Amino acid sequence: MPLEVVLLFAWTLVIVFLAFLACHFEDNESDIGSQSNPNSQVQLAPQVGQVHRFFNKAISGEPLSNALYQGTAGMIAWMLLYKLEPLVPDAKWKAAVVAIPLAVGASALIHMIFATTAHCGRIAAQKRFEQPIYLDVFYGHLIPIATHGFLTTFSIVSIAYIQSNLGALAGDPRLNHPFALPLLAFIWGITVGSIGSSTGDVHYGTEREFQDRPFGEGKRVIYHGRITRYADCGIRTSKDISPFCAKFGSPATGLTFGLIILLENWRTLIGMKLGGYLPVLPANLPLVPTVHFATAEGNMAAVWGIILGLIIIAAWIVGNMIFVKWIRAKCGPFVGA
Amino acid sequence: MTIEPELIWIVVYVTIGGMLGCLGAHLLPVGGAPAAMGTATGIATGTVQIMLGAVVTGLFTAATVSSFSNNIWLVSLAGAVGATIMIQVVMFMANVLYAFGCGVVPVSGRVAVDPITKAPQTAYKTPQTDGHGVPDVVFISGTVGGFMGGFGGALMYFALLFYANFMYGTAVIAALSIFVANAILAAYNIRGTTEGYWDPKFKKMPKALIGSFCVSVLAGIVVMLATIALGGGA
Repeated sequence: MPLEVVLLFAWTLVIVFLAFLACHFEDNESDIGSQSNPNSQVQLAPQVGQVHRFFNKAISGEPLSNALYQGTAGMIAWMLLYKLEPLVPDAKWKAAVVAIPLAVGASALIHMIFATTAHCGRIAAQKRFEQPIYLDVFYGHLIPIATHGFLTTFSIVSIAYIQSNLGALAGDPRLNHPFALPLLAFIWGITVGSIGSSTGDVHYGTEREFQDRPFGEGKRVIYHGRITRYADCGIRTSKDISPFCAKFGSPATGLTFGLIILLENWRTLIGMKLGGYLPVLPANLPLVPTVHFATAEGNMAAVWGIILGLIIIAAWIVGNMIFVKWIRAKCGPFVGA
Repeated sequence: MTIEPELIWIVVYVTIGGMLGCLGAHLLPVGGAPAAMGTATGIATGTVQIMLGAVVTGLFTAATVSSFSNNIWLVSLAGAVGATIMIQVVMFMANVLYAFGCGVVPVSGRVAVDPITKAPQTAYKTPQTDGHGVPDVVFISGTVGGFMGGFGGALMYFALLFYANFMYGTAVIAALSIFVANAILAAYNIRGTTEGYWDPKFKKMPKALIGSFCVSVLAGIVVMLATIALGGGA
């Protein structure tokens, strides 16, 4: 069967959509569990006399914890696929439909265990500041954390599955990515955590955590630890963070990861097309990739990919300059006290 | 026993790659936890975490390219461009979030006037903060940092793949491990927050480079010994 270039692009767009979902839910999960950088304020609050009802699960940095969940799920899925695929040789997708959710479910259980130990450990360590462990907070947050984590892991493992079978899905298995499914899940786990940590946390840390402070300014050092503890009605818990951040912070974070995946895959595919590597792959291209294999078309594909990438880089620099100039003109200098 | 030239190239490329990773980490605008509250300029996460995220994105593209090209410079440049795009999108979207989500404009806390665009900084800064967002000068420093880090990571990956004959998966994990060691060395210098090239902390960079050189040479020798012991195909 000849290679369908349009199918390659279509599957890439599916991957981009899954990436958007993955990072959206990753950011929301880190907000509900209060993991990552703004958690420093949740950690600090009891020390400045602000006893709170936030969940506190700083298991580790987000990239590493996500790499753990997604790497684990990828490994389990890979093992299940290894056993299940021979049972359905004509329709291997059936094996994936069973293997991926099961693997992600197992990973979600591990996620809940880590959330439990991290929350209890951290809050128990603050006994000297009279911070109690609220059991309703503890029980009430575990399921939202696990479900959001499930959706992140599911999306990432699906991305890894599609990428490790991209060539087969488009008509030629020789174009599959050289990395195995668990490694791809691990890699995107690191990236999704890295983006969720660096982009999404801004909305939670700068805005939602200090919502009773003036809008439109960076949070001053004297505010640190004095987080907003009261909700629209009653006392705020970490679950109240999620609906707020889901309106802007999380989709923007999802867009970040989606854009990265889109630009990276798009420029590589366009480069392969412009370099003449697609749609007819070299006849002597081995099924299992070997590093010493190369063709003139392959080198040209790499060159085109790099040229397109450099154009994208220049466009981002110019775009950021225009954006910074525009937003400064729109908001003006700082006018507060 | 004679040492083949490929084995020497492994040590050379791993050393260059590791040192580029350390240099790139110094150039990134790392805001850490304070940046998440808009109290410091830069990306709201740790040095190693953002560098790792950028480099693995670059390595993904480098791996794709290495399946149809065996030119070391093309593979390394593909990785460098991938890491740069990742870091740029993150920086730009952080600016969008600061602007529309929090009403904060990008301001450098280290310089009074942007050295590149000459835009004033102090008037826009919130008192009792160290700047916020990713202004132009910091954006460009981060772009260069991402490019260097991605290039270094992909260079190491290619050396392990091509000269040490590691498999794809082993090569990428080994390259990432060496890279993380070098990024952590840079993180000791940065200690939480930096704005990149214009930050006073950048002046401490040569000392980190010496440390990075020692670590990378050692890692290169270990890879070389592994190559000799395993006879390739690890």
